[in-house]
Amino acid sequence: MRVSTSSAVEREPSPTTAAEPTNVLIVGVGGQGVITVSKVLAQLCLQNKLKVKQSEIHGMAKRGGAVFSHVRFGREVYSPTIPLGQADILLALEWAEGLRWLPYLNPETGTFISDTQQIIPPFSCRNRKRGATSNYVFRSVEQVKQHVPNSYAVDATGMAEGLGNPRAANTVLLGMLSTALDFSVDDWQAIIAQSVPPKTVEVNRQAFLLGREWIQSDAHKEEREQVEVAKPPPAPVVDDVVIDLEITEAWCKGCDICVKMCPERCLALNSSEIVELANPDACTACRLCEWLCPDFAIAVHVHKKETAIA
Amino acid sequence: MTEASMHTFEIRDYLRQELMPHFMCPGCGHGIALRALLWAIYELDIDKDRLAIVSGIGCSGRVGAYIDANTMHVTHGRPLAYATGLKLARPDLEVIVITGDGDCLAIGGNHLIHACRRNLNFTCLMLNNEVYGMTGGQVSPTTTVDRFTTTTPLGNHEPGFDSCKLAAAAGAGLVGREITLQVPALKNLIKEGINHPGFAFLEIISDCTEIYGRKNQLGESPEMMLSQKASTRSDVYRNTVDQPFRPNAFETGVLARNDRAEYADNYRKHVEKTMDVLKSGD
Repeated sequence: MRVSTSSAVEREPSPTTAAEPTNVLIVGVGGQGVITVSKVLAQLCLQNKLKVKQSEIHGMAKRGGAVFSHVRFGREVYSPTIPLGQADILLALEWAEGLRWLPYLNPETGTFISDTQQIIPPFSCRNRKRGATSNYVFRSVEQVKQHVPNSYAVDATGMAEGLGNPRAANTVLLGMLSTALDFSVDDWQAIIAQSVPPKTVEVNRQAFLLGREWIQSDAHKEEREQVEVAKPPPAPVVDDVVIDLEITEAWCKGCDICVKMCPERCLALNSSEIVELANPDACTACRLCEWLCPDFAIAVHVHKKETAIA
Repeated sequence: MTEASMHTFEIRDYLRQELMPHFMCPGCGHGIALRALLWAIYELDIDKDRLAIVSGIGCSGRVGAYIDANTMHVTHGRPLAYATGLKLARPDLEVIVITGDGDCLAIGGNHLIHACRRNLNFTCLMLNNEVYGMTGGQVSPTTTVDRFTTTTPLGNHEPGFDSCKLAAAAGAGLVGREITLQVPALKNLIKEGINHPGFAFLEIISDCTEIYGRKNQLGESPEMMLSQKASTRSDVYRNTVDQPFRPNAFETGVLARNDRAEYADNYRKHVEKTMDVLKSGD
């Protein structure tokens, strides 16, 4: 494996002759092109008469779910998956996914290449309470560099957008990956042209060259150091409203809809089969009980808290 | 309530509170449909004096009685016929018909197809609970095959109507379907139906827990509502990867749109033409 800009991590001999296989872990979220990237790489290795094993998780991911792909190649490959701490290159198409897979990276010689794009999944916001922060992991580029000296954060999506198609971000990253592996540029380009839709061949060709140049050229040195990931949003103001659940007991027929449908489980039927607010602290004023009450017995009022002190 | 409370939709402003609580069974989806209708009326800012609700016979027919507006409770199966007359006589009114599956498709099936054909500008909400609830749970034209009702103790063997396909084929201006669980989506669909310049037929899949659900062991109303959700497919998933997984699901959302000439416009043009002929004859 060879990283062109960094002499510290050069390792000889090249993948074609090394006894141990080269491990590339490609991670991202559904719809970004993780599988396409790994297929390009695997195809390229086959063309260079190397043994390749590729293993992936996809399908249940849909759009926005986690996707990863292990690619191992060399003179001989036995296991299809990369052992913990032995990936030579971790290529992440999404920032938090990259962080999540860092334990797989070889701590001394591994290279981390990641897009700074952040795709925040719905399930990182499991706490629906007002003012609750999301569980999405926020780490700055500096924090990652402390762990992995040989790491590159890059706004690949922004670069691909500059070329006119943000979906070519995976090819930009592929261009960066290509600097760490010794295959010829023409080989890469030929395989990419086969693997992408015919209409996007040209933009992918440019994206590949852009990514490759970004890592290799000294002209981008400053740019490389200035990349930042977005900071977490400031914590929202809490305690500015009072939630008042008005239950008209005379209208309630105890049908149980609100009790079973409340996402926070804060309602219950009392001994006379009338609904009551059993857990007021958990209520987020989502209004589902109000909407689904067929007897109009529940009304959710959200009052602004009086700020002036009498 | 303090002045600081945010202004939102208050359903009590639209209800005849002296009649509450309403007569419907615990867990009946008709109440939720009524809320969605009133919410849509609130958001469209329709004046109560300009609103006319026409409803037929049955549980669905009674829904109209709780609305604090001009309401007409008419003969079985004929709310569409009354609404046609009302809309022609008073085109300034916003006419909304509330009817049920038995009312609209069996006894009033004839009126439905002709209302669709004429394309007069009013909205028809058909609350489909698959059964005649008020009269004791008889089989209706939308009862699912093999389900039990009072008149089909050995299971229903008749295939049901797909009322939306029927209305679309008969030429309705806008055809839509929604379940009661998706209240905001239902409200938006009703708003779209009211705004449509032509006949809008909206099927609202409701649940009859006490009679139909109990006879068929479909569970309490939360279970029935969730199973409705599982058996429908929203229009946002149309033509997506979801397609092969639920091939026979009822589609929800706006299903058909037919932007053709409205009946009252045509009628007025026809009157003018006739008057011109009569004048030139003098």
